Amino acid sequence: MPIADTPPFDYEAALLACARGERFAMRALYEREARWLLGVALRIVRDRELAEDVLHDAFLQVWQDASTYRPELGSARGWLYTVVRHRALKEVRHPGRMQALDPVDLAELSDQQQAVQDTASERGLDSDSLERCLQRLDEARRACVVHAFVDGYTHEQIAERLQTPLGTVKSWIRRSLNSLKECMA
Amino acid sequence: MINLQDPESRVATTGEYVLGTLSEEDRAAFSEALAQDPALQTEVYGWQDQLLSLSAQAIPVAPRAQLWQRIDTTLSAMAAALPRPAPVDSTAPRSPWWQRLGLWQGVSGLALAVCLVMAVLLVDRGAGVPGQTVGARYLAVLQSPKDQSTGWVVEVQVGGSVRLLPMGDTGAVPAGRALQFWTKLQGAAGPTSLGLVKAGHSLELPVSRLPGVGAQQLFEITLEPEKGSPINRPTGPILYVGRTVAL
Repeated sequence: MPIADTPPFDYEAALLACARGERFAMRALYEREARWLLGVALRIVRDRELAEDVLHDAFLQVWQDASTYRPELGSARGWLYTVVRHRALKEVRHPGRMQALDPVDLAELSDQQQAVQDTASERGLDSDSLERCLQRLDEARRACVVHAFVDGYTHEQIAERLQTPLGTVKSWIRRSLNSLKECMA
Repeated sequence: MINLQDPESRVATTGEYVLGTLSEEDRAAFSEALAQDPALQTEVYGWQDQLLSLSAQAIPVAPRAQLWQRIDTTLSAMAAALPRPAPVDSTAPRSPWWQRLGLWQGVSGLALAVCLVMAVLLVDRGAGVPGQTVGARYLAVLQSPKDQSTGWVVEVQVGGSVRLLPMGDTGAVPAGRALQFWTKLQGAAGPTSLGLVKAGHSLELPVSRLPGVGAQQLFEITLEPEKGSPINRPTGPILYVGRTVAL
């Protein structure tokens, strides 16, 4: 059972208020989620300043596109994180500026995973079913999905990192997604 | 080539779209299909929520205090350039006064004036020569002369960089044509090319590429031949244009 030690926050209402042009709702979303979103963007773009640019641009996009959000189809948080992740991915895939990215020690980052799992439930993110379904995949396949989502890796980067042929990585990801979908249904 | 007919391929492709592993071509094809297919939208929302908890694997980082200020200022400039359409439901009992009065309809000039006054105050407080103050910021909202829709935002940080950010859907560029980005200082004889840009993609350049920086500086995007204008002057129609305000 999730521990409700934080006051409930209505993400859907906040996003719908953004769609109506209510700036304080945007501020509330920002106050609530900015540090998590910046963490997500930073993990993908690996540069603090660039990550803040991504967050700036993403919030403008949220403001611009909030009216397209459909609350009956899914959570506002899922929508918001997708906007930020996709902005960050665009930045690394098609950098608008010349940017030498420092390689980051990923082993170090993944060590912190356990602590993070605890935080997920505190933040009201239901990680149980995804976690359970990910555990059903073998390790390498699981790593593909996690690297793609968390690190924003391309097929090629995953193949290189896992020292696995590109074609194999591609089919692993596609089959893993099908298994996850089935498991979470 | 994406296949959304086969059920397994559809599940995988939709998941990959949300994950972000589709190739640029496939992603574009998927986005197009998404706009037409309500069931596919439902599936995308499903994946967004199912994968969301993975985002907890990133370590949270507090943004610098100025970040919200920067977002807020950009929103103000955008609001001044183009008032958002008032909410459809005017009978909603709890809409704030500024919406109920419909103030944002037809008063963009006033809003812009307020914004400019504030900008002047801020620059004055900076006690520097406007436009030359290191660290001064300017913002331009580029709009379509045709329908006033906002397509891009230009952010100029003196001593830093110029950023061109896509906003909303600016539509596809016709085959064999390209978007070219230009600037012109107030009073300058002609515009300076800042190069070609890709629809929907941001661009960042050092400020040193500009002929100068100032308020009321014009930025525009024109439609040009694939390699850019051959005469180093805009030849095609202006798609988006706007002038800077100092922040």
